Amino acid sequence: MWPKTLKNAPGQGNYLEFLARRDKSVGAFLHVTGSIRQNGGAPSDSGADGGNTCLEGVPVAVKDNIAVEGMPLTCGSRILEPLVSPYSATAVERLERAGARVVGKTNLDEFGMGSSTETSALGETNNPWDVSRVAGGSSGGSAAAVAARMVPVALGSDTGGSIRQPAAFCGVYGLKPTYGTVSRHGLVAYASSLEVIGAAAESVDVLEAAYAAMSGSDVMDQSSLDHPVPPPDSGATRIGFLGGELGLSPEVAENYARFVEALGDAGYETEEIALSTLEYVVPAYYTIASAEASANLARFNGVRYGHRTDYSENPEELIRKSRTEGFGSEVKNRIVLGTYVLRSGFQDQYYLRAQKIRTLIRREIERAFAGVDLICSPVFPTQAFPHGSKEMDAFQQKVADRFTGTANLAAIPALTVPSGLAGGLPVGMQFMAPPFGEGRLFAAARTIGEIFPVEFPPGMEPPWAADRE
Amino acid sequence: MYQSFVGLEIHVQLKTETKVFCSCAANYGDEPNTNVCPVCLGYPGTLPAVNERALEMAYLVARSLNCDLAPVCHFDRKNYFYPDLPKDYQISQFHRPLGTKGYIDLEFRRNHKRVRIHEIHLEEDAGKMIHAGDMSLLDFNRAGTPLLEIVTEPDLEIGDEAEALLQELRRLVRYLGVCDGNMEEGSLRCDANVSVNLRGAGLGSKVEIKNMNSSRFVRKALTYEIARQQEVLERGGSIPQETRLWNENRDITETMRTKESAHDYRYFPEPDMPPFTADEAFLERVESRLVELPAPRRERFVSYYGLSQSQAEFLCDERATADFFEAAVTAGAAPDQAALWMAGDVQKWLNRAATTLTETALTPARLASLLSMLAHGRIHGKIAKQTLTRIFEEDTDAETIIQREGWEQIRDETVLGEFIDTVLSENTRAVDQLKAGDARPMGFLVGQVMKATAGRAEPQLLQELIRRKLDYNVIHVLSFGGAIAGRRQEDGLVVPGDLVDVHELFAGDPAVPDSLRFSEVQLGQFLSEEITPADWAALITTVNETITSANTGGVVIAHGTDTLSYTASLVYWFFSDAPVPIVLTASAVPGNAGGRSDAVDNLRASILVAAGEERGVHVVYGKDDFYPINLKFERAGYTAVARGAAGRAGRDEVAGDRSDFYAGVFRNWNKDGLRRSAPALAAEARELQRAELTSRLEEALSSVFVIKVYPGLSGDALISLMDAGVRYFILEIYDTGTANLRETPFSLRKAFDEGARRGVSFFCTSQQEGTVDFSEYVTAHELWRRGAIPMGVLTTESAFTRLVAAMLVCEDDRAVVHTMEEAE
Repeated sequence: MWPKTLKNAPGQGNYLEFLARRDKSVGAFLHVTGSIRQNGGAPSDSGADGGNTCLEGVPVAVKDNIAVEGMPLTCGSRILEPLVSPYSATAVERLERAGARVVGKTNLDEFGMGSSTETSALGETNNPWDVSRVAGGSSGGSAAAVAARMVPVALGSDTGGSIRQPAAFCGVYGLKPTYGTVSRHGLVAYASSLEVIGAAAESVDVLEAAYAAMSGSDVMDQSSLDHPVPPPDSGATRIGFLGGELGLSPEVAENYARFVEALGDAGYETEEIALSTLEYVVPAYYTIASAEASANLARFNGVRYGHRTDYSENPEELIRKSRTEGFGSEVKNRIVLGTYVLRSGFQDQYYLRAQKIRTLIRREIERAFAGVDLICSPVFPTQAFPHGSKEMDAFQQKVADRFTGTANLAAIPALTVPSGLAGGLPVGMQFMAPPFGEGRLFAAARTIGEIFPVEFPPGMEPPWAADRE
Repeated sequence: MYQSFVGLEIHVQLKTETKVFCSCAANYGDEPNTNVCPVCLGYPGTLPAVNERALEMAYLVARSLNCDLAPVCHFDRKNYFYPDLPKDYQISQFHRPLGTKGYIDLEFRRNHKRVRIHEIHLEEDAGKMIHAGDMSLLDFNRAGTPLLEIVTEPDLEIGDEAEALLQELRRLVRYLGVCDGNMEEGSLRCDANVSVNLRGAGLGSKVEIKNMNSSRFVRKALTYEIARQQEVLERGGSIPQETRLWNENRDITETMRTKESAHDYRYFPEPDMPPFTADEAFLERVESRLVELPAPRRERFVSYYGLSQSQAEFLCDERATADFFEAAVTAGAAPDQAALWMAGDVQKWLNRAATTLTETALTPARLASLLSMLAHGRIHGKIAKQTLTRIFEEDTDAETIIQREGWEQIRDETVLGEFIDTVLSENTRAVDQLKAGDARPMGFLVGQVMKATAGRAEPQLLQELIRRKLDYNVIHVLSFGGAIAGRRQEDGLVVPGDLVDVHELFAGDPAVPDSLRFSEVQLGQFLSEEITPADWAALITTVNETITSANTGGVVIAHGTDTLSYTASLVYWFFSDAPVPIVLTASAVPGNAGGRSDAVDNLRASILVAAGEERGVHVVYGKDDFYPINLKFERAGYTAVARGAAGRAGRDEVAGDRSDFYAGVFRNWNKDGLRRSAPALAAEARELQRAELTSRLEEALSSVFVIKVYPGLSGDALISLMDAGVRYFILEIYDTGTANLRETPFSLRKAFDEGARRGVSFFCTSQQEGTVDFSEYVTAHELWRRGAIPMGVLTTESAFTRLVAAMLVCEDDRAVVHTMEEAE
């Protein structure tokens, strides 16, 4: 499936030059490697450990909140700008062992907090379809890199939709796996109980190959899991689609209707379902995510690594000033919110209540899957919006997370698939499956891909096209 | 009356090989920042992975502290910013700790208590920050090492008790092999919560005390803090909830932060780790690591091996020592001897060499063989001590050393018998003298045989054989004042006098065997009420010379009745391990009254006990053989009629009914459990030169005061005595330990407060027969709280002499107090 051009040295220089050239208009990368390392220094034992040779030589971009040894790990934040990671994430190590080559680190909303990649302190990422628009977020750089044909697959992280929403904005596939199936070791924590490493990709094949290489339990992450044996049936016949008043833009609403219709055409039994917990997704999600973020981001204090203030009278002041200088306003906002909801005496009212809602959401999803094999819903109420959009301010972006947040709260897998263009911009729809139902997602994506094949921005030719047989 | 509540939070560093959430070595003493990795440095993207060995140790401690073990426990995040805390939160346990509802049994100054353990949880330690000039330096080697926190309920009341609990807990974790328990190095750390309130009013506001880096500081800080809070409350003030730091330079606690600035730790469940399930295999591993803990082991050492409480405490302090002892016993050593030697000469050598038992060449088998040689008389005590030193120095066994040095004694009766026969046949004059009743040639004869055997004859056996051959036994009679050695003058008054010639007195007495020879020593011409420290020193050194000389069958000390209970107990503390009977006796009527005096009867009875088989210290009066301690001179049956009749009217009446005459003059209080023979408390001090002993006794006596508590006794009087240099009081209080501690000048309260400030100790005995243990009355408990030390069954006289003896052999006040606490 993948031409081997990039495997050997002669093509490299040209490829890296190509990346730099194309990224000028897109801004997907925060860092591009000086030379592509072979096997990441790890022994090539693709036979063992589920290695997948179909990734041999595949260039891969990594969201800059996932550790790659020897590369920066900025999380799009001033506070980690000086940091070079001393180790690689398990997911990265496994991909490299399967033959993939890390070519650079992609832009993101600061620490993954945002839906537009605009909260990044270190660069702006444009949508390859229309550079005046955002690529989505927080894994905007990864989705844009794939859409701009710079890499066939890019790692991202999904805390509340952070892979799926930019994948939809950019018209590519985006997988949020079952919580725990991909080790979080090496993923800079924002909301530990919600987030998972996944990927944006140009095809279902490369996405599935990457997922197969990355997944599986890891001693470095005690919350990681293996897929159960046997895995859930990959065939799906019944698909429930989220109905009712969903608050979609006219373009997305029209596209959604066509998509649901197409499901029927493809042979699926479809039925409209409602999720009564939908309106609680966003409050519960932000309460839990902020609470965990307030603890997870506490370690960035300027003492051991990262940004340190120029002068301080004492260690306490060093911490205070470094954090004040290093964090952006959206991050500070969520840290303060998280600290607030965790105060003793107020946990019942906020944090514990959010956890109860989370349990209700999980139960409702379980019940829903008793009747259908997959759930289909929009990813986001709108298509990619313009930079600095007034309609899509930070608050509206959060409200818009309601379709994606469910999968994170319920710890289930979900996949964004392209659903065609509207007004010259891509739209994406989402499938959700029961835990460990990734196979079911890939199968459905392939089926619907016959009707809605992936499309790329005009003029964005891949560097490897010439080599394609 | 106030009540104090103290709860402890004890941190135990678990001795795992690796840290609790990563695989770095848990050696925090290494070169700074060498045992670190992205996980324990809190690098972005790293996750904790719990070390199951740490959980195993944690469950083991919880199990050993009788906790309910959580079948499933999980971790929580405790959030606070501190430069040495890499993640700025600590992974700890808050909602579901691994152990709850445990307890530890504690005894402090006769007060038995079950201190409840609220919970036990596992957490990670922080790094270390030091400030150097205008820099702050951080070492993260310790960051992420496993820490066990043990939280007690507020069941403790005083600082001393908290110290005792920490020491017991230290022993426990060392026994379990999970921690070295070193407080100075921080592997065992303790914070405390203190609250004081009116009795019955429940807990007051809670003050947390930190920065106590040794168990001694814990005691001092808590003692200070309890007194401080009580004073504030008494003045009508209130105690704010706050955290205070112990300032070890100023010996006070100081405010660190108030409630308003207290941390809100915002605990929430750690999302990075799934809950831990203690499955059957895990619990079996925990179970297999259980060991016999210090407390039950001490009890077993007392009940099974017949050791004293203090011996058991000494041996069980370290598991290795207790194991060594049991191995030595298994190898054939007699338990009492093994205990005696381990606490004595072995320990002395270890102290000198500044090492520990397991690091030396002495093995249980080597000790056992040494003791067996001693027990079988193959070597004598002095040689045994030398051999022990050689074992330590040369790393070889006793047998080799003794063979090589030719130290084995001759104890073959036939061989010795031949030497004796030769010497006796060559010294017919000395033999004749002995036969004629003179004890003096005995020493000469023994010396001659020794010379003939080149010093290798076993002295005890040699003496025994000579005695048997010549059929005699030497009793040393020491005249130590009193009427028994006195004379009644014409006017009827008794004056000090010489002791009668015992040999002459009992010549022809059918009750006294012909085989007895007497050696008499006049120690002083005084009445027993006139005893001075110099007299006691003379008595002690003389008794010591006598029992260590080769020709002693027994010792009789002729004393007066008035102070007999003091001298008898003093002799006991010095000589309870004597190899021969030591008998104290007295009389009310001077010996020059001839056959009609009680002196003659008592002397005769004493001589027979001294010539008997029962070693140890006796007090013989009339028909009774009393114990030397807890002797009370009660005169119950010693009526004025008897005295008057004996003194002036005519002695025949006295002679008429002797049994009435003697009955009830003396009595042992709390007689159960008293002994004549035991390891001697002050054995070392009896080796001192007489002048040295005199001056040390004088010095000791100058810092001791005995006070009988009475209604209206003023605390100020005791304070004046403190001003005059008194550091120890024997308080003879009411019943089983009550005294007035109200806020009035006519109570002991001021004296206790002042005493606590000055480090003065109060040892409490009773004016009535009974056990002082402060168990019954709230006033008694208050005494305990204020640091008074209950003397249990000991009478005032015996407690007093024990204190004097303890002061001669103890290095410091703490040791003196400890010796007093250990009184039977």
